[in-house]
Amino acid sequence: MSPEVPPPTRRAMLRAGAFGLLGAAAGGCGFMPAKKPDPSLLAPVKPRVDGDLVYFNWADFVDPSVFKGFQKEYGVRVVQSNFDSMEGMVAKLNAGNRYDIVFPTAKWAQRLVRGGRLRRIDHSQLTNAQAVFGAYDYFADPWYDPHSAHTVPFTAYKTGIGWRRDRIGELTGSWKDLWSDKVKGKVFLLDDRDEVLGMGALELGLDVSTGDRADLDRITSLLGTLRPRLRGFSSDSYNNLLNGNALMTQAWSGDMAAMLNQAKDPSVFGFEAPKEGTPINSDCYAIPWNAPHPGTAMLFIDYMLRPENVKKNIEYIGYPMPVAGSEKVYAELVKPFPECLVTEDDLKADLFFRNGGRAAEDARDTAWTHVKAG
Amino acid sequence: MALLRHSSRTRKDTSGNRMWVWLMLPGTLWMTGFLIASLALVAVLAVGTTDELGNPRFGFDLSGVRALADPAYTEVLARSLGYALLTCAICLLIAYPVAYTIALHGGRYKNALIAAIVVPFFANYLVRMYGWSVVLSDDGPVLRALRAIGLADSNTKILNTGVGVVAGLVYGFVVFMIIPLYAALERLDVSLVEAGRDLYGGPFRTFFFVTLPATRQGAAAGLVLVFLPAMGDFVSAQLMGGPDQIMIGNLIQDKFFQGQNWPLGSALTMLLMLVLLVGMFGYLRRTRKDEAEVRR
Repeated sequence: MSPEVPPPTRRAMLRAGAFGLLGAAAGGCGFMPAKKPDPSLLAPVKPRVDGDLVYFNWADFVDPSVFKGFQKEYGVRVVQSNFDSMEGMVAKLNAGNRYDIVFPTAKWAQRLVRGGRLRRIDHSQLTNAQAVFGAYDYFADPWYDPHSAHTVPFTAYKTGIGWRRDRIGELTGSWKDLWSDKVKGKVFLLDDRDEVLGMGALELGLDVSTGDRADLDRITSLLGTLRPRLRGFSSDSYNNLLNGNALMTQAWSGDMAAMLNQAKDPSVFGFEAPKEGTPINSDCYAIPWNAPHPGTAMLFIDYMLRPENVKKNIEYIGYPMPVAGSEKVYAELVKPFPECLVTEDDLKADLFFRNGGRAAEDARDTAWTHVKAG
Repeated sequence: MALLRHSSRTRKDTSGNRMWVWLMLPGTLWMTGFLIASLALVAVLAVGTTDELGNPRFGFDLSGVRALADPAYTEVLARSLGYALLTCAICLLIAYPVAYTIALHGGRYKNALIAAIVVPFFANYLVRMYGWSVVLSDDGPVLRALRAIGLADSNTKILNTGVGVVAGLVYGFVVFMIIPLYAALERLDVSLVEAGRDLYGGPFRTFFFVTLPATRQGAAAGLVLVFLPAMGDFVSAQLMGGPDQIMIGNLIQDKFFQGQNWPLGSALTMLLMLVLLVGMFGYLRRTRKDEAEVRR
């Protein structure tokens, strides 16, 4: 119904509209050139209870009993929220939302560190930090955060090939297996730009993060030969293998390990880490610059690093953690898929996906569009 | 519209006017804040840039717009257009008999029948599509049953095909076609149909020359309601499609997530909007002509 609108009404409407626009413009402030926070605001803090813990992570990435224990021991609440992508997490941080603890992957940790968005963490204040940094040299000075000054590593994983052992038997241990005639039309690649371009790069002996147009052209034409054999791009490796849509799929080691908890008979599946190299990734604990309770966040990191909690979390999520003493727990867990293990050598091979500059990212984006859309 | 204007109050009633202001305020705020302003933001970001950390920033850089010239985008856009039109046609063919039966022969069960059609749509589209992807999978119940009775072999697949994607779109949006058609058919003046019969029109002639034209506006509304979401959809192509069924929605999603190329994603969104606007313009002209005809 549209009644006639007398002049004052129209003006009121315009005023209301302008108000709404103003609100949206405020929302758009996240796209203004960012100011780096003052480095003095990023000084490390001591672990002490300074409020409830505002926690921001993937859903289901910590054993619930660990949260319960933490709440009981320190008398604080854990206020949980979840993200479904790194992009979503960073967009929320950039929009000014305040969290005490976040879990970026290496590539995103580097972006946050460079943007001055993370508070420094003094490892000497954490009673259990030695089990990480003393045992895993790699994380004492990782590429994404010099001297791990703002982060503590959380989990690590690699990318390989998952397949149906019961249908196609053994593989050759190479990325070339994806081209095998036995699985034509039943192969999935991860729906992930870096993983797919990285696989092509490894097959051709190129840098996994290459942003060079000539390299990317070679990768695109190589993957063009795989494309007609593909069933699809999907990161749901577990379900695709389980319901028979995939006989073979590019897969993350952690997802394959998590499958062991659910599959009735894991021997029908297999996971291999191809010999040309496997992309590796890790994520870490980090405290944002504007965290309201950084002291509680420090306590939480230390609590999570206690051996009994590391064990619980590894068994709950299926991802290994670089904490001395936990290796056996993980090896036991992934006995049917030993190639899920992430060793110090895997880390040193350093096949992490790096941040490129604007031109490199654009070139990779174009290459991905061509691989995906054909 | 014109009729309403004539029938509205002739007496100035200031307190009533104020009430209308308050009633329209939430809607106006909502539309400007979340629709117009967000669209403006997307338009501005289409010529924006990304900083060295990959974050989207305001600026003036036409590389996102220029990248649209890549034939890959045109091809995917054309495919999406084809899928959306096909979805519209199939939805119309399914929805018309359903709406017709309920509206003209539903009797006292009319409301119950419409509720039965609408209720499944209370569950989230994504969840329902995910369910379908399990049901239709290679080792899922449907294909297993078909294999058992010899109607499928081990190479038969439903998922990751064009048929799967269009079926997903039809399933997802057919209700948007049924409801406006039902509304139009319910309003249909049965005496017109009877008049057609009295003038020696057979059932088919009466249907095509009386019933169908009288419900054309309902069909047009349904076509728009189905076409718009089908054109921008990415869920069906992601869960039911393979590499050759990617739609424009999937590429747009990729630009905002994997590529972190928000300017190009925004430019693609604006391109899609443009295509949809052209379609809407055609629809509006059509309905205005219809309205003029009705008034005559």
